[in-house]
Amino acid sequence: MQISTHELKSKIIESLKLQDITPEQIDDDAPLFGTGLGLDSIDALELVVLLEKDYGIVIKDIEEGRPAFRSVRTLADFITAKCPQ
Amino acid sequence: MSDISITAASTVTGADLPAARLGQRFGRLDQQSQLALLAVAALNINFDEFPRDRTGICLAASAGSLSTDVNYWNGRNGIGGPSPTLFAYTLPSAAVGEVAIHFRLTGPNLCFVGDDQIVLPEAADLIRRGEADACVCIFCEVVTADCGKMISAPAVASAHALFLKKGGGLHGWREFDRDMKALCALISPTKSAG
Repeated sequence: MQISTHELKSKIIESLKLQDITPEQIDDDAPLFGTGLGLDSIDALELVVLLEKDYGIVIKDIEEGRPAFRSVRTLADFITAKCPQ
Repeated sequence: MSDISITAASTVTGADLPAARLGQRFGRLDQQSQLALLAVAALNINFDEFPRDRTGICLAASAGSLSTDVNYWNGRNGIGGPSPTLFAYTLPSAAVGEVAIHFRLTGPNLCFVGDDQIVLPEAADLIRRGEADACVCIFCEVVTADCGKMISAPAVASAHALFLKKGGGLHGWREFDRDMKALCALISPTKSAG
């Protein structure tokens, strides 16, 4: 199953309750944490919950998840590769 | 003449929250923190006029963080468990931290669970002891309908804020001035974040 970055960005905005930002304003390749979207460690946990709730993906090893959380595109690729359906 | 004065007052309610715009991350705060932040913003204080490390925060939360605690607990059986973001707000003092971060106030801070009677005397004490030149005082009342049933209390969502500073002024603070809701109504009956 191919996950579109637009769909993922909408889910991120909803899950993290980001205000005054649209999917179009988020660069697919910009860093999610620190610079770029400026997310923090609590947001990372919220994204882990999002993956489990919406895609059935459980991240047990943080080292496995770390590269996936680099940007929206890497996260979409990760979901596409891991998605059970 | 009083040596401490109240220079601003504000009251906000849950009805003010949908229109509130206090940064991209405002939405992730729990309701109590949102109300506290909005009430302080509605004071319209220019905090640049005060040394950040000499401006304190004193907050009372009538029901602690009970409503957020219950929301968090109710999420325990969902897929992925309860919201990690919500966990950060399962302490009454979370609202103090959010106010401090947003307005970059690094002075002393205090948090009480209970009514508002202790807030202004404690804030005045901070100022008189020389630990702060000014203090943001906040009283939050947040009880959701679900929590209201648990504790037999009516649902409420409001925050009242007052700004105390060293020195005399139009509204001198007196020892018996403790009812923050009444003072907010008296000093600034129409001011609201809107």
